[in-house]
Amino acid sequence: MDVANLASQLNAGAILPEGAVILTLMVVLIGELALGRASAARWTPYVAIAGLLLSVGLLCLQWDLTPTLSFLGSFNADKLSIVLRSIIALSTLVTILMSIRYVEQAGSSIGEFMTILLSATVGGMFLCGAEELTMIFVSLETLSIASYLLTGYMKRDPRSNEAALKYLLIGAASSAVFLYGLSLLYGLSGGETHLSAIANALAQGTNHLGLLIALVFVIAGISFKIAAVPFHQWTPDVYEGAPTPVVAFLSVGSKAAGFALAIRLLTQAFPAVVEQWQFIFTALAILSMVLGNVVAIAQTSMKRMLAYSSIGQAGFVMIGFVIGTEAGYASMIFYLLIYLFMNLGAFTCIILFALRTGTDQISEYAGLYQKDPLLTLALSLCLLSLGGIPPLAGFFGKIYLFWAGWQAGAYGLVILGLVTSVISIYYYIRVVKMMVVKEPQEMSDVVLNYPAINWTPLGMRPLQVGLFVTLIATSIAGILSNPLFTLVNNAVVEVPHLQTANAAKTPMAILPTTTPELPAPLVSNSDSTAL
Amino acid sequence: MTLADGVQLVSTLILAAMVIGAALGVVLFDNIVYSAFTLGGVFISIAGLYILMNADFVSAAQVLIYVGAVNVLILFAIMLVNKQEVYSPVPRRWIRKLSAALVSAGLFGLLTVMLLQTEWLPNAAQTAPDSTVILIGEHFFSDYLLPFELASILLLMALVGAVVIARRESIVGEDTAIVGEQPAPVLELPERPREPVA
Repeated sequence: MDVANLASQLNAGAILPEGAVILTLMVVLIGELALGRASAARWTPYVAIAGLLLSVGLLCLQWDLTPTLSFLGSFNADKLSIVLRSIIALSTLVTILMSIRYVEQAGSSIGEFMTILLSATVGGMFLCGAEELTMIFVSLETLSIASYLLTGYMKRDPRSNEAALKYLLIGAASSAVFLYGLSLLYGLSGGETHLSAIANALAQGTNHLGLLIALVFVIAGISFKIAAVPFHQWTPDVYEGAPTPVVAFLSVGSKAAGFALAIRLLTQAFPAVVEQWQFIFTALAILSMVLGNVVAIAQTSMKRMLAYSSIGQAGFVMIGFVIGTEAGYASMIFYLLIYLFMNLGAFTCIILFALRTGTDQISEYAGLYQKDPLLTLALSLCLLSLGGIPPLAGFFGKIYLFWAGWQAGAYGLVILGLVTSVISIYYYIRVVKMMVVKEPQEMSDVVLNYPAINWTPLGMRPLQVGLFVTLIATSIAGILSNPLFTLVNNAVVEVPHLQTANAAKTPMAILPTTTPELPAPLVSNSDSTAL
Repeated sequence: MTLADGVQLVSTLILAAMVIGAALGVVLFDNIVYSAFTLGGVFISIAGLYILMNADFVSAAQVLIYVGAVNVLILFAIMLVNKQEVYSPVPRRWIRKLSAALVSAGLFGLLTVMLLQTEWLPNAAQTAPDSTVILIGEHFFSDYLLPFELASILLLMALVGAVVIARRESIVGEDTAIVGEQPAPVLELPERPREPVA
């Protein structure tokens, strides 16, 4: 195979968006090195933001291309991967907006922070399209190792050190288990590394026990990434000790990458044991919803509360995953998209509060309404949206998930989801009540000494922009959700292995009379799968 | 059985015994330096097993990376920490040891049953290649090109991260702090630590 021949087969245009991110990473790193830290800090964040916007733009341009495997089958740029890669790139973008002031105030270098964050993004984006075991593992490790480094970025803080060490040790163990599962897949399939080839080879054999053990090991690795109970023990400590923008990235970008891995690996390589993996994920979803939402009630620190709430939210997303219908996958991606804005909005707010007051205790938010109405409004809307209060985006995400689950006959899961959502509304509203209802004399000390609102220091403007963008998206993405619905439906419909994975299941073809707000294309889609 | 087969079988058995013996040493020695040295023994024995499977390049890489780099690094870490600390034995430690042994034995049993039950598909390429280095190189620049290139990003990021963690800080931007009245803590989380629960 000569070079020209090889170059024409690589189809390298598929990874242009990742290329844009890598180029940005290089510019940021070299720019900071060449021009010095203080002067580079004024422009590198904007270069990074421009690069990520370019990457998202390139992803949009790829939408209409026919999906082809690139790099001789290593990477699949189908519509599903385009949506998930966009979610990861957008989450990094908003994370950078909120981290400029945070890192600046900690006296550290924003350039190196962004270099590591952007390489985590590259890893996550490659993970969304990886079609081959080596590629999956290398991109997963790129994402993980970057996350460990970012967690320990505040290196003089013992909490940050502890979080990084715990995350590193547990992450290394879970990577090892995941790798063992992958090596079993390689062996069972007779030396194949491409997911479709593995599925073909496994369909002929009768190695049920080996396949099940591989499945369990692989699921253990994935569950660590998406922080599903009982693989969640690292989450509260890491979320409490890591710098808050990193927590925001971990709870959205990293989690989306984990779900992308789950969708691709499980539906494509394990069609022989669909029942089993759906059963395991049902158990994980139940445990995550119950434990995440119940333990969140008892938290006093905002970051810890959001850690447990993100465990619960991952449980909701898993409902869409286990039912295995087209509407299920579409609702899952839709919810991830909505969750991106509301969760990052909430994190932007708590970063702003922590920067101004130096605390994240929930009780210290008392009476904030009197001093900073904008922050109160933004945080309230994001938390209410996370809880699923009607006109906001989170409500539409949840109703789509639950509707898809009900259609597929997963009544128990949906009812449990409803009950735990009500529990989650309790602890979200507790914070809102703390901020809004308190009388002026009940104000906490830090709110009494609240500094004058000043948006001029370096990095405050991007924080403000991030606040407004996420706030607007959270408020109107629910009402104007039809384009998003069409988007995620198109993404799922055109992926062949999501259809074969649930060929055995026939969801009931009942028109959803109880949910009239769901748009027409969605209903017709789910009906066509049923027939 | 030809002479070559016999030699291979005997060498496999010897190497396997070495791996198991050295691995037990890693776990059972009380002195951590002995554990580190026996870990080197495990790595070298595994490199021997690779040679028996015609994977000469992997074997050399194993010796260079695991014995030459990883194990030496572990020894350096032990030497630099060098802190004498007397641990008081945890009460009812035997319960933990027993449960760990039970879990490990169960996992071992499960994996053994699985290995024996499975009909392993034979690999298509049965004959050993003339030169594994050339074959690996061809794979790196054809079907494994993307992971190979991504690994370079991974290494770059790990390098930057290692420098960030290890270097001594020169602080910038200290005067622009806006937290309340007092200056912001440098390289620490802006949130104050929680008061310990009494």
